[in-house]
Amino acid sequence: MRPLTDAWRSATSRLIIIYGALFAIWCVVLLGVVQWEASRYLSSVVDQMLAARIHYLERTDQSRLRDTVDAAGAIDSQGYMWAGLFDAKGNRLAGSIARIPKELTDDGVARPLEAGLADLTREGDSRTRATARTRAVAQTLPSGERLVVAKESAAIDGIGVIIRRGVLWGLTLTLIPGLLGGILIARAPARRVRAIQQAMEPIREGDLSVRLPISRANDEVDLLAGTVNTTLDEIERLLGEVKGVTDNIAHDLRTPLTRMRTRLYRLQQQFEGRPEGQQLDDCVAEIDTVLARFRALLRVSELEDRQRSACFEAMDLGGVLRNVHEFYAPLAEDRSQVFQLSIGPLPSLRGDPQLMFEALANLVGNAIKFTPNGGAIHLAALTDPTGDARVDIADTGPGIPPDEREAIFRRFYRGDDTRSKPGCGLGLAIVSAIVRLHGYSLSVGGNERGAVFSVICPAD
Amino acid sequence: MPRALVIEDDEVTARDIVAELGAHGLTADWVANGREGLNRALADGYDIITLDRMLPGMDGIDVVSELRKRAVDTPVLMISALSDVDERVRGLRAGGDDYLTKPFSPDELAARAEVLLRRRRRANGGEETRLRVGDLELDLVRHNALRQGQPLTLLPTEFRLLEFLMRNAGQVVTRQMIFEHVWGFHFDPGTNVIDVHIGRLRRKIDGAGQAPLIRTVRGSGYTLAPAD
Repeated sequence: MRPLTDAWRSATSRLIIIYGALFAIWCVVLLGVVQWEASRYLSSVVDQMLAARIHYLERTDQSRLRDTVDAAGAIDSQGYMWAGLFDAKGNRLAGSIARIPKELTDDGVARPLEAGLADLTREGDSRTRATARTRAVAQTLPSGERLVVAKESAAIDGIGVIIRRGVLWGLTLTLIPGLLGGILIARAPARRVRAIQQAMEPIREGDLSVRLPISRANDEVDLLAGTVNTTLDEIERLLGEVKGVTDNIAHDLRTPLTRMRTRLYRLQQQFEGRPEGQQLDDCVAEIDTVLARFRALLRVSELEDRQRSACFEAMDLGGVLRNVHEFYAPLAEDRSQVFQLSIGPLPSLRGDPQLMFEALANLVGNAIKFTPNGGAIHLAALTDPTGDARVDIADTGPGIPPDEREAIFRRFYRGDDTRSKPGCGLGLAIVSAIVRLHGYSLSVGGNERGAVFSVICPAD
Repeated sequence: MPRALVIEDDEVTARDIVAELGAHGLTADWVANGREGLNRALADGYDIITLDRMLPGMDGIDVVSELRKRAVDTPVLMISALSDVDERVRGLRAGGDDYLTKPFSPDELAARAEVLLRRRRRANGGEETRLRVGDLELDLVRHNALRQGQPLTLLPTEFRLLEFLMRNAGQVVTRQMIFEHVWGFHFDPGTNVIDVHIGRLRRKIDGAGQAPLIRTVRGSGYTLAPAD
């Protein structure tokens, strides 16, 4: 499971960022439309003013037209309106406009001037401002003269600037607190998801008694956690039932089997040395095998049910390993196997030496069983770089295929290569239960040249 | 004839125990209640007591605790359906001398009872420093072993194993009992390791031309005894 360490990876953060981006785009589009509409409206107002002025000048008496055109610019001290009268060749006859702008045609339609007023006015005109926006109209009079009226429309630019500034401020004042708030808001769900993740760890390792934390928020995360908890309740109940049934079968069958074995054993004593005796021997051996399996099965359950560590004490792991080595050395020797023991410096540990002997004896017993005669087994303990004790049981047997390395710790699991060997597939389940009881970890590695079982024992 | 007190509430189990102990030469009395069992154990001089862990009237743990409190040192073999190691530890700490989990083979129970009886006799007769079975001798002080006067080279485990067999000479001891007494562990070793250890010891003490002392009892275990 990927840890949720990066706040930006949370769904809440992502939603806030996406929403923020959409909000910003929407703001820009909205204000763009507002600006466009405002510009259009202001342009139409300017055009109406220009049309009105042209209309007025068109109707002015021809004899007073030049003076009126001169006056039209002069009376406008703010320099918002210019007028110019030109002959048919474009020579200025009157007014404040120096020349006819090239964009204009004499059709009475207002057009924006690219160069603004700079293109129209005479040098030294004190009212000339390099404004970016000017609209002008040109009209041919019946006399053949050409009339040009222009109006500065800086207000439109002003409106645009105001709107753009508004957009920037709006976005800044909305998005920055929004993002900060979003990050703060996202932290709480991220914390809860992390808490759920931590609660899931023991569940993944097989502890079905753990439940996911539920807050008082009663939101969708709680709803999901509640659903998972209900599912876990059901799984735990079903597994308990299955395990209970298995244990009860094992427990209840042991008594009649033991009695049967007792009777067969007595018969065996009576028939010793006769052909029937051999058959009875075989029967007793078979029952012993079944009883041993039941014992092992109940032992796994007993270890799995243990929540206590009543017999835990300061444990001499080196001593436990020496005992295991001494116990199994004759068996390895009988099979012409080299059985090495190496113990390095070890940290102080707490544990149950009896149980650890049982676990390591199982692992060493398996290593000897599956290693061919003449092979080698190496039992080693050392302190790893993290300060924990590490026990390795390495052999030169056939090894364990990677796809079976998890399954071998399940009850009754037996790999294809192990079915011909004696055993019931419960030894590693016992080892696994003992290791878990101690809070240690167990793993298996190796290759085709053999298996390596490793037990990591965190220092006390 | 040694006397045994069987404190067991299950009649079938009690009958099996009484029959098996009888077959091994013990006179056994049966009591089905914990409190009555305690009174009988305090009143009569029994050589051994088999005590069920869960009893009506009084729990087995309380019975053995009370016996020890009143300085009754009769060996107690506790019998229980509770196989948990913690339960065993509780039983032994309360004063039990051995602990057998149900269901059990009667011969296993008898073998354990015999071991406890011998231990009691040894305790009464003072601690031996030299064990002898036929022409095999074990000096517990000097820590050496002799067969027909010839020293045997034994590893520490082999010495402990031989001591256990010689202390219970003529008595069948099971593999589980050997594992518990010699190595001190109470789980099922589940392999033939005990047989291998016995085999190595056998090769050392039963030399060529010598009568074999260690015999395998099929379906049960081993016994060390001079050849008849």
